[in-house]
Amino acid sequence: MPRSQDLDNIAPDDPVITIPPTETKNVILSPSSVKKKKKKTHNSPAPESATIKSPSESPYSAQSVKSSDLKFRQKIYELMQGKTTSSLSSFLARPKVFTFDTRDDDEEIILVLRRHWFTNVRWIMLGIFMLLTPILFPSVPLLSFFPDRYQMVFVIFWYLITFAIAFENFLSWYFNVFIITEERVIDIDFYNLLSKKFSEAKICMIQDVTSTQGGVSQILFNYGTVLIQTASEIPVIKIEMIPNPALVIKVLQQMRGEEEQEAIEGRIK
Amino acid sequence: MSQINDFMLLAGKFFTVLGTIIYFIFSVVIVKQVTSMSHNVYDKFNTILIIFSYLHLLFSILLIILALLFL
Repeated sequence: MPRSQDLDNIAPDDPVITIPPTETKNVILSPSSVKKKKKKTHNSPAPESATIKSPSESPYSAQSVKSSDLKFRQKIYELMQGKTTSSLSSFLARPKVFTFDTRDDDEEIILVLRRHWFTNVRWIMLGIFMLLTPILFPSVPLLSFFPDRYQMVFVIFWYLITFAIAFENFLSWYFNVFIITEERVIDIDFYNLLSKKFSEAKICMIQDVTSTQGGVSQILFNYGTVLIQTASEIPVIKIEMIPNPALVIKVLQQMRGEEEQEAIEGRIK
Repeated sequence: MSQINDFMLLAGKFFTVLGTIIYFIFSVVIVKQVTSMSHNVYDKFNTILIIFSYLHLLFSILLIILALLFL
């Protein structure tokens, strides 16, 4: 008498039919067993308890799963077409060199965002002014009392402080990044010399995305703030002064679409 | 009058040396910070930034030496 092969209904004493690994090439994978990563094209041996399903039984074949995923991903790539991949950019689309420490081996980075370059203008101007100060004001009344050798040391000290201010501001811009990968969004903030914040949310946990742009410079140079509301432990992720917030929202929308598709097909990790 | 001048120069030297030592500590923190940041986020310019932070540290040491010997 044929016995049920459905593992939910199987009795403890039922014999389970095992499949030899050599026969797996004809197996149509069920949605739950399809690997999420499209890069992994090699077939791993099927688990011993896997059941054979005919194409008519399986609602999603491996081919249809791949094409539905590619549709969303293709749209994202189209949105980011022509965007820079330079390391010193505020809007890094699919960077080749950039990486971060908690990244999975095969996790694709879709977008890396830093503050818009215009937000750096203030400290650049301050740095230039500080650089020119000893030339523009060679004699400071309070310091004129000191001999020349003292004044020389003061000037060197002044230039070092100028460098430190500029360097600190550059580091703050360069290392405060917002990353969108195919699985999650990550916000890395270094507030000052000794404190940092790392926020992360799965794309499937994103509930709402809003952007705000206010002021002349933000409208003129197209940058603003994006608020991501999530259902995870961190309720809101705020990304400030990022370039092209509308495009970022579109990319996130496509990513959410891709995740929803995967959830429908039961391929969420 | 010359005693006041000497006192002012001595005070100037003391505060300059103190300032350079504090600055040296600050530059050590910068080196530590850049190294830590580079560990978290890696990009093409990280090596250059680490070199700059060490050069900054070197200059701050030179400034202490300059303040001690020159003033």
